[in-house]
Amino acid sequence: MVKVDPKVGDYVEVLFGKNSYKGTLLESPEDEKGTVLLKLDSGYNVGFVKKETLGVILLKSGEGKKEEPSKIKKDVNKPNIAMIITGGTIAARLNPKKGGVDWLTSTEDLFKFYPELFEIVNVSRVEVPFMKASEDMDFKDWQKIAKLCEEILNDGNISGVIITHGTDTLYYTSSALSFFLKNLNKPVVLTYSQRSIDRASSDASLNLRCAALAAVSDIAEVMLVGHANSDDTFCYAMPGTKVRKLHSSRRDAFKVVNSKPLAKIFSDKIEILSSDFKSREHTKGKVELDSKFEEKVALVKFHPGQDPDILDYYLKKKCKGIVLEMVGLGHVATNRARLGWTKKLKDVQAKGLIVCAAAQTIFGRLDPLVYSNGRELLATGVIYLEDILAETAFVKLGWVLGHKEWANSKEIVKKKMLENFAHELNPRLEE
Amino acid sequence: MEIDYAKIGFKSGLEIHQQLDTHKLFCNCPSVLRSDNPDFTIKRKLNVSAGESGKVDTAAAYQASLNKTFVYQGYDSTCLVELDEEPPHQINPDALRIALQISELLHCKVFHTTQIMRKTVVNGSNTSGFQRTVLIAHDGWVETSSGKVGIQTICLEEDAAREVGKEGNTVIYRLDRLGIPLVEIATEPDIKSAEQVKEVALYLGKVLRSCKVKRGLGTIRQDVNVSIKNGARIEIKGFQDPRMMTETVDKEILRQKKLIEIHGLVKGVKDYGLSPIDLTSIFRNTECNLVKNSLVKGGKVFGAKLPGFFGLLGLEFYEGKRFGTELSNYGKAHAGVGGLIHSDEQLKEKYKFSDKEISEIRNSLKVKDKDAFVLVVDEEKKARKAVDVVISRANTQINIAVPSEVRNALPDGSTEFLRPMPGADRMYPETDLPLLKISQDLVNDVKRTLPKLHDEVEADLKNRGLTPEMVKLVLSEDMLEEFESLLRIYDNPNFVVKALILWPKEISSKEKLSDKQRSERLSVDIIESILQKVAEKKISESGVKEVLEKLAKGSSLDESLSVKKEGGDIRKLEERVLKLIKEKPGLNANAYMGLVMAEFKGQFDGKVIMETIRKFVK
Repeated sequence: MVKVDPKVGDYVEVLFGKNSYKGTLLESPEDEKGTVLLKLDSGYNVGFVKKETLGVILLKSGEGKKEEPSKIKKDVNKPNIAMIITGGTIAARLNPKKGGVDWLTSTEDLFKFYPELFEIVNVSRVEVPFMKASEDMDFKDWQKIAKLCEEILNDGNISGVIITHGTDTLYYTSSALSFFLKNLNKPVVLTYSQRSIDRASSDASLNLRCAALAAVSDIAEVMLVGHANSDDTFCYAMPGTKVRKLHSSRRDAFKVVNSKPLAKIFSDKIEILSSDFKSREHTKGKVELDSKFEEKVALVKFHPGQDPDILDYYLKKKCKGIVLEMVGLGHVATNRARLGWTKKLKDVQAKGLIVCAAAQTIFGRLDPLVYSNGRELLATGVIYLEDILAETAFVKLGWVLGHKEWANSKEIVKKKMLENFAHELNPRLEE
Repeated sequence: MEIDYAKIGFKSGLEIHQQLDTHKLFCNCPSVLRSDNPDFTIKRKLNVSAGESGKVDTAAAYQASLNKTFVYQGYDSTCLVELDEEPPHQINPDALRIALQISELLHCKVFHTTQIMRKTVVNGSNTSGFQRTVLIAHDGWVETSSGKVGIQTICLEEDAAREVGKEGNTVIYRLDRLGIPLVEIATEPDIKSAEQVKEVALYLGKVLRSCKVKRGLGTIRQDVNVSIKNGARIEIKGFQDPRMMTETVDKEILRQKKLIEIHGLVKGVKDYGLSPIDLTSIFRNTECNLVKNSLVKGGKVFGAKLPGFFGLLGLEFYEGKRFGTELSNYGKAHAGVGGLIHSDEQLKEKYKFSDKEISEIRNSLKVKDKDAFVLVVDEEKKARKAVDVVISRANTQINIAVPSEVRNALPDGSTEFLRPMPGADRMYPETDLPLLKISQDLVNDVKRTLPKLHDEVEADLKNRGLTPEMVKLVLSEDMLEEFESLLRIYDNPNFVVKALILWPKEISSKEKLSDKQRSERLSVDIIESILQKVAEKKISESGVKEVLEKLAKGSSLDESLSVKKEGGDIRKLEERVLKLIKEKPGLNANAYMGLVMAEFKGQFDGKVIMETIRKFVK
């Protein structure tokens, strides 16, 4: 027995009261630094309060066992795709020795965890612009991803790109890419996982396999691919501007809103469901990047009794535009209310703030003409964004206002906001 | 079967899994099993990744090789947690408390900081691909007639989903059982005889039943670990009846002894790296119906030589089980084939093989005098895989005597291969939950309120004057608490048991009450009110049964009690009325009323007295 300070991964003996416990020393969780965490020989982890232990004795140094690198064979008959890995559950693997998380960032890692993916395609390029939980991202991250996409898609040897991403803000990114990438010639597929990949039930396997089929398909669009329901049977390819996370934990967290899935994808085949997409075949020329973005935009949700003075805050913060999530067909409190918004809306717009309206109901189209209240609000100059999802509207507003030549004129801004760039507007709602 | 356990180096430990009588461990669903049609089904696949340590667990890898589809049946009594669609909720505090009670009753030391773990299980019985389990306590003991047996660990874990069907490569599970809290008690391998295995199992059963655990078939499961000198640790699962344990353990000893013997005979044999050979063409004109039927369906015959195994496949472990049966089990478990044919069987008599066929098999496989051979008849993929598995199992026998594995207990005391022994590698932390802290305050509180064991309770009840029948009733109906609380109202133990359990039971069956009706009409609260009246001497003991009968028929408590408003006894009234009618026959009801009223006034309503008279006088 050597009296040295044992390290994580060492086989040790913890002296505690009259007992002693042998096991592998683990890294204590961030919020449990006062605990000695031990993996017993049985595999169970137990902890001891550090101050109460009588000593930790090193029995055997934990040799840093190296994992064997996986060998990947390139198959010339399979199409090449690229992957952009940005973080999230789908790229995180638990390291039980440390107790923390390791990122999968190489083709070898991907092969080891997702061998099914390589049955369909060669992953010929892997890009890791950053590793983040998606709630930590902002427009600068969207711009980085878009830039990489442009490079990749203009590489003649690559059929399409898969972007793996955390789920929380995935649909903001898919919207952003839909506006940022012009003249798209190949599929841009975003996918995710809701169940971590260290468990056998992970949804990542099917999602990635289906994403690969989408990436080599004819659909030259930005799309989000993920479980269509709780079964591990098929995924949907969902249009990038018409999709939203609608469940905090289910595999089928993402649903198409005010539109239809582009395709139904099984683990071995793809069934096209829509004709409303650009096809790879008919696209000529190169992808162009147009990722200008005005940071000073906001998404504001109206609630009953809300003081309209909140809008002054956005003006004070030099906001150029806001998307107001309105109730019903497009209403906020009017002149008749104790805290009416009509006058305030007029004032802030007069001071140059662009105010757009999107639906708090998530599903359905706005229509300010049905009730007099709506007409009163419309008359203030609010831009009603039809059936555009609030989050998509927010991204689009930032993108439109990012173009100085448009942003100077409210008329042009209104025209651009109501122009259909990336299927964000659907003139025919069937559901 | 006389076995000298000490001489053969017998070691055995027990593992007991007991369902607790609370809601589920990591969600708020009730722990109820369903027999009605499911409300919905979900279809899933499981994948095995290289895992956290980079190693694929043997047991996990084996299961994954089966590449199955899993269908899960859900109900209104299951939620997203069972479906692996929502993270686990905080651990159920009631279940934790019961686990701590059991730990204390078994003199274990509690871990004050512990981590909920995921134990990889990929046979589909857990939607997540793992079972959640947490180590609660360790290092306790129980006393037996032949010495102390150590308690290694007490764990709290979630039960798995129930398999309810199989269709081809699809396994159907019901989610009702998934997540029911289980306490797992593992003893040290201190047990020295098959008889002691049973004794420990029965004692642990008693400890468990003193706590709030589920009762009945399937709510307790016992596994036994058995090894002998030169053998290996074998885990036997799936005992439904502890009385079969002695025989099963003894048979496992015989199996291990015979395997050690076979190993001694083949250990020098070289591994030739053989692979399955297609022998289908030999059987073109076969008289063997088994083969003929399979070939018609497009099946194939695959075979292999087992060098050095001549005569060994027919060696009997114990009645009905031979080494050949063992090999056949492997083929069934790994490849799903029906069985195998081997050279130690009566090929001509049993299978109607011709001499020509037998000699062609021997030639094709190059079988020499000291060798054995096996054949499998099935669709090509399965047959080939089964023969492969048999070759590999035979090679194992050359290298080691007894492979460590998990075996299934069968009703006749024999066992069959279930899966290889899983390793510690399959455990990793449940990252969705924080470390579990068990405070000393909680442990102290559990110690203060520890339930008594059944034995102690029984002795205690007897000491308080209950007859043996009454003691049995209280314990079998699980009414100890209710009994104690009623006793505080009216201190006559035997009478309280009658009023609380015996009569309500009799009356409900006589009146054919449903459980719901019984619990409404003869609830403990109602019985308490009646005993209150008895204690206040408002009614007599002998009148209680009749009150219960009225209640059972649907009368309200007031109506039922009003009969003996002031504590009269209806039987005495009846006796008096009958006597009066005998003494003074022929009077009308009102006349009798006048006579009786004088005597019973104040004890009964006039209405009740009149009704009683009218029973006897038209």
